[in-house]
Amino acid sequence: MHELPGPFPVGRYARKLQEELRRRARVRLVGEVTGVSRSKVQAYFELRDSEGAVPCAIWLDDLEKAGLPEGGLRDGAEVVIGGGPDYYPGGAQASPSFAFRATQVRLAGEGDLLARLEALRKQLRAEGLFELQKQLARPRLPQTIGVVTAERGAARRDLLAGLRRRGWAGTIVWAFAPVQDRRAAPAIGAAIQELAAAPAVEAIVVTRGGGSLADLWAFCDETLCRTVAMLRVPVISAVGHERDSTLIDDVAAVACSTPTHAAEAAVPLDCLAARTTLTRAAAALQRVGEGAVEARSRHLVALARGPARALRRERAALNQKTREVRAASERGLSERRAFQRRLASVVLVRAARRAAGAEAQRRREALRRAEVAFRAHEPERTLERGYALAEDAAGEPVSSAAGARAAGRVRLRFADGRVGAKIEQDGSEG
Amino acid sequence: MSEKPESYEAAVERLEQIIDRLDSGQAGLRETLELCREGRELVTYCSAELDAVSEGLEELKLDDLAARLESQPEAD
Repeated sequence: MHELPGPFPVGRYARKLQEELRRRARVRLVGEVTGVSRSKVQAYFELRDSEGAVPCAIWLDDLEKAGLPEGGLRDGAEVVIGGGPDYYPGGAQASPSFAFRATQVRLAGEGDLLARLEALRKQLRAEGLFELQKQLARPRLPQTIGVVTAERGAARRDLLAGLRRRGWAGTIVWAFAPVQDRRAAPAIGAAIQELAAAPAVEAIVVTRGGGSLADLWAFCDETLCRTVAMLRVPVISAVGHERDSTLIDDVAAVACSTPTHAAEAAVPLDCLAARTTLTRAAAALQRVGEGAVEARSRHLVALARGPARALRRERAALNQKTREVRAASERGLSERRAFQRRLASVVLVRAARRAAGAEAQRRREALRRAEVAFRAHEPERTLERGYALAEDAAGEPVSSAAGARAAGRVRLRFADGRVGAKIEQDGSEG
Repeated sequence: MSEKPESYEAAVERLEQIIDRLDSGQAGLRETLELCREGRELVTYCSAELDAVSEGLEELKLDDLAARLESQPEAD
């Protein structure tokens, strides 16, 4: 302690401090207003962003001159203030306090916000936070998706319509949250984390309709965007309209311009088209599966039929030959029979010629009738019908079973020739 | 018996490979039959996945989901 200067009276030091601070450069600050309170002459608030805060005070006269809209200085408002640091040394009764003395205040405009957004964007990009979500695998057909949005909003309706158009009717877990003002960012962040904690949730959609950058400012919140970037579940953002670009769009896995597009990004698979494709694949498999067996079995059957066909061909050829041979032998037979018949006729005619005169004529007539009768009774006729004549060794007809037994051997005369036959003595008597 | 596909997209990818292979006409009978069997299983799986998201939209609030999870014992 001894080496430090002093001790000085504290009141004097306090006034010195005030002087020092008041000498500092006057600047403009931008941030969000919180904790507004008023005394009779001053308004107090904190101006903060995600990195820190400064307590501020403004004389009500100055506030009035600023011409803010009614209730402009309220919690959650993004404002730009001009002024410098100040110190109130307090007094015998009053407590000392530090404050940034604002002498000017206006609502932050698009330009201010854009400048802040750019700075944040640069920082988060430099930290590599834009890439993390984009590296996550997104399921093409999630069964369950989480959605963070306002309970009453067009975004909700549009998202549902988009999912319906996809033919998707899985499970949606709604996490309703305010989507504007200073409560929004922490509420959205909490909702996203809770959804991500549920194992069933495969993708999370964060969506709200369009608005000014100030309206959408919650989606540029640094804490929220860092939360999203670190999440292991893919987040699909659809905040504002096409031209609106918020920080959450940068860190999300996919940024969409509308809730309808977000539906398509959350369920990349067109379920209706997929069903058609699948049916076609099933049919192709069925066709190929059956076809493969059929084609091959046809081939096998063809191979197996080969020998059978050859056999059949051979058999047909054989049958044809057999028929030809039979036909040839039948032809020979009938020629021989015709010759015999001619011979018989000649004999009879000669005999008839030997009888002369009327008597001869009568005899000729009788002979002719006899010839007809003879021919009718010719054994050949009977034999041609399939009967056989049994003859003994001397060529005499055997006309009884007893005769046949007595003969022992007989010759069976068929129309086409004779064959020897042996009578079996033990044959049936009947 | 082949394993259950790890995801719909994995199943569809395999199915496309199978159909390409079959279309190539280079698979022998045994392989063709094997591919067809596997393909049919994949179709069944994919179809079940599609069925699961086709039977009517279910809407839960986050609190409902939390309550549902709490009422179920931890699966793993």
